[in-house]
Amino acid sequence: MIADFKERYERAVSDPDLRPRLLAFQRSWRQSRDAQVARLEQRTERSFDDLRRDFAAVKDSTIERLDDYIDEFRANAEAAGATVVELTTAEEAVEYIAGVCTARGIDLVVKSKSMVSEEIELNDELAERGITAIETDLGEWLLQLAEQRPSHLVMPAIHQKRQYVADILGKELGREFDPDNIPAMVASAREGLRRHYLAAGAGLTGANALVAETGSIMVVTNEGNMRLATSLPDVHFVTAGIEKLIPSWADAERQLQLLPRSATAQTLSTYTTCITGAQPGKEMHIILLDNGRREMRGDDMIGAALRCIRCGACANVCPPYQVVGGHTFGHIYTGAIGLVNTTFHHSIEDAAGPQGLCVSCGACETVCPVAIPLPRQILNVRRRATESGHAPRWERWLLRAWSMPQLFRAAMKLGAVASTAARAVGLVHRDHIRLPMSRRLSWRSVPAIPAQTGSDLIGDRRPQPTLASTPAAGTTVDLFAQCLANRLMPDTVDASARLIEAGGANVNLPPNQHCCGLPAFDAGDWDTARTMARSSIEVLGRTDHEIVTPATSCVISMRDHWPQLFRDEPDTLSRANAVADRIHDLAAWLDGPGRLPDGCLERRVSGSWTAHRFCQSSNRNDPGARIDLLVERLTGETSLPLEEPEVCCGFGGLTSIAAPEVGQGILERKLDCVAASGCETLLTNNPGCALHLRAGAVARGASHDTQHYADYLAARLPDNPPS
Amino acid sequence: MISATDRISQFAEALHAAQGEIAYLDSWDELWDFAASLGDDVPVVSPAAHGFLRRGELPDADDPLRSIADRLVGITVAALGVAETGSLLLIERAPIDRAVSLLTRHLIVAVGQDDIVDDLADGFRWLADQPRAAAYATFVTGPSRTADIERSLTIGVQGPSRLTAAVLT
Ligand code: SF4
Repeated sequence: MIADFKERYERAVSDPDLRPRLLAFQRSWRQSRDAQVARLEQRTERSFDDLRRDFAAVKDSTIERLDDYIDEFRANAEAAGATVVELTTAEEAVEYIAGVCTARGIDLVVKSKSMVSEEIELNDELAERGITAIETDLGEWLLQLAEQRPSHLVMPAIHQKRQYVADILGKELGREFDPDNIPAMVASAREGLRRHYLAAGAGLTGANALVAETGSIMVVTNEGNMRLATSLPDVHFVTAGIEKLIPSWADAERQLQLLPRSATAQTLSTYTTCITGAQPGKEMHIILLDNGRREMRGDDMIGAALRCIRCGACANVCPPYQVVGGHTFGHIYTGAIGLVNTTFHHSIEDAAGPQGLCVSCGACETVCPVAIPLPRQILNVRRRATESGHAPRWERWLLRAWSMPQLFRAAMKLGAVASTAARAVGLVHRDHIRLPMSRRLSWRSVPAIPAQTGSDLIGDRRPQPTLASTPAAGTTVDLFAQCLANRLMPDTVDASARLIEAGGANVNLPPNQHCCGLPAFDAGDWDTARTMARSSIEVLGRTDHEIVTPATSCVISMRDHWPQLFRDEPDTLSRANAVADRIHDLAAWLDGPGRLPDGCLERRVSGSWTAHRFCQSSNRNDPGARIDLLVERLTGETSLPLEEPEVCCGFGGLTSIAAPEVGQGILERKLDCVAASGCETLLTNNPGCALHLRAGAVARGASHDTQHYADYLAARLPDNPPS
Repeated sequence: MISATDRISQFAEALHAAQGEIAYLDSWDELWDFAASLGDDVPVVSPAAHGFLRRGELPDADDPLRSIADRLVGITVAALGVAETGSLLLIERAPIDRAVSLLTRHLIVAVGQDDIVDDLADGFRWLADQPRAAAYATFVTGPSRTADIERSLTIGVQGPSRLTAAVLT
């Protein structure tokens, strides 16, 4: 039995060792994996993107004609003496294996690592039928001894500490182990497992690929246990999902270019074993399991997840995974893919818990060796979870309230009055209100709400004189202020307007703006998201001006989420697309239609700032994502290097409210990197991230200042530009 | 296509990166002397290697794995070497063929210098042309390893803890 999500979450966030261990793991994996990928690109003279797209196309076309390939595989494997069965459910798979064992009088099975066997919870099921299954992969064996489950697809025991390992090995083998002598603990596997290999009637393995042209299985391992498990016993079971089919050995090689490099950052794992058919005098049973895979295939949002080759890379770059680990970020399948496929292999209940942990940063998709659009798929599953009643009630109410502009404005106005009062009595420090906070929230402070909104400021001022003539000079540009920035960062709205005007364009602020719908979309509440989006489409659809916003996330929302929201409403969709076609991220605007010339802004101090680039747009290489380059170009100043520039800041919309420890953990990772950069000013682009980073910096007493890059740039506009 | 010398040096480099070792030897006789010098034990020899060496101890046909478990030095032969990855392709249809490469502590794998191919794609092309070879074929890349305890890389788990490619020149 897997504990419920809340319990798993609590256990994870109260383990003080987990975060640093996973952080060290992610950092070292990233370094070695990137080096491997760079070498691969050099060797093949192709980009990672091209290589992964090619192999993804192989997987897609195989899955499209799955039944043909299954037939081909079956015919070849059976001709080589194997028995191939295609089974629909986990129960059928368990019954089949147990049936063969019982018929042969087998009561001990040695297992090499197989995620499908985890998926069907084979060990427990066999135990109930009087059959013992022994894991022989060291990590899996340690988990079995501790009665735990894998917390990672390829590093199953990554959550276990050496002291803990010494303890469980001591209990199993009846002698003491020195936790600092890892080689001795590793060597104990040889002694602890040997007798099981010799006594087992059957060996069970998974398959990394099923090669249709010859009916072969290919298995990639490092320890040598898989070869033992398939050499000693007389019966070999293979448990594999039907999505593991590939047409040919040439495709197997393509898979191997990507798999070990993405999994363990190895050029090739120690053993790549190819087995065709039963060995002389032995039996081979290949179980091809559906268990929800055909349903995935028929689902146009999710089908691409069947490309997965279980490399674990999506967990290795996942910021929330680093904070809570795989027992919490996932179910039996862990990491980003676990947030998707659990719905189909297990249930929507099992998939629902961790949904709120994903911060939608998009890192997983950048490293996935088969280019699965994981962030989109997760949002889609989250929607299903929300719609089937698995979202917290407070979240729904909060979003409903947010979707009502009057209510939102009234609440913010109240907040502004309270902030002014707090300021008067000295409760405001660095623009944040000092409040007694619970331990869970003390890592963040609350921004004071300014009395004036962005639209107020824009209404009351004289336009910025033209600094340079740009392609957009003389045109009128609509400014989308964004709900958060308008209320909480009014100066940024004003700064954005001035930067647009400096390029010779006129700024118009369409009245009654509110929210693009992003927070609700992210929370899986599509109904509320549609309400919000409709009002923005209406407000922004009244002109045909180009639209610019300092809010990077809203550009993604309009371009990416709106088409999904209005898929079934062709009229709204075409109006939504018309708006989305006109929207520009401010940074992209300043490099594009409103391009200001190099060095046109005042250069002050070089090497005093660094930039956190909004993860979502940065991970997708969207235009304007490189705000560091923009600021350098316009000011002639140079940025300080920032470690892990593409890692999320932890804002993640509602995640930092629903799972504050996750927001905190990621933020601390980011602020540690910022501190290490030695900057005086941290620049960033997305308002939500700017607020989160600033509130966190104030709470921890960091000396650096956090600014939206628009503020930084606008402060360097000359007062009297050359005529 | 790369030159034969480049291919061998690439092979050596990739094998080293995978913690494997390399020895350049002139003949099977030299290989035997090399293996025999590694320990007091008589090297155990796979049936394929025995065909060339005509000496050394073969695994017991009735119980091949048990008969040689944990012996110090074993010798076998690879069908191919792969320069790109430093891998050796072992074709081992029956358990008796596999016993030596599975269970000896220091495995020596002989490979002809002309049998080293450029890359893994060549290796798989070869395999696709030899349907019988794929009955049980393994690309072995260095000694067995694990990083399952606190990610600490440990060489030598359930398979050999040392692997030497003996390139026959
Ligand atoms: S989804 Fe992609 S990155 Fe994640 S395990 Fe599967 S193949 Fe690897």
